[in-house]
Amino acid sequence: MQQPPIQQQQQQTSSPTEFLNNVIGRPVLVKLNSGVDYRGILSCLDGYMNIALEQTEEYVNGQLKNRYGDAFIRGNNVLYISATKLRE
Amino acid sequence: MSTTNQLLPLELIDKCIGSKIWVIMKSEKEFTGILRGFDDYPFPIKLQDMVLEDVIEYENTPEGRKTTKLEQILLNGNNITMLIPGGEGPES
Repeated sequence: MQQPPIQQQQQQTSSPTEFLNNVIGRPVLVKLNSGVDYRGILSCLDGYMNIALEQTEEYVNGQLKNRYGDAFIRGNNVLYISATKLRE
Repeated sequence: MSTTNQLLPLELIDKCIGSKIWVIMKSEKEFTGILRGFDDYPFPIKLQDMVLEDVIEYENTPEGRKTTKLEQILLNGNNITMLIPGGEGPES
């Protein structure tokens, strides 16, 4: 019986750039400072957190209000970008 | 010679990578989660966006506190007020 090495228990650090490279093309949740949520497929983004989403759904107070095929979100409004973890 | 023991505030946060951190925002929002990293530049002068994992988002509203669980987020650094290393969040 062997204990797993510590390196396997602690995940390596992940810089914002790595995070962004990992989430492009995946479904994400983008929350704005106003509280409005956007769910969609992240097509691309830049260092300002300007975001282009596909198949976008707009949620206000948790309720679906709108759907957009493509949406551009100006980065200054973004509070966070959330994704589910990649499982290997 | 005399300044070698001094640690810049953000170098303290750099030491927190891999452990739990409590983030308090300008607005009525707080986050707890494991700090995974932040931008190298212009560290250690200005705090930029940070990556958090196993996050709980706390939103304080007039109707009470709302919590949301998130697996992994990139948090915009613009609206951060305070970082508490090892903080367990507002409910502890």
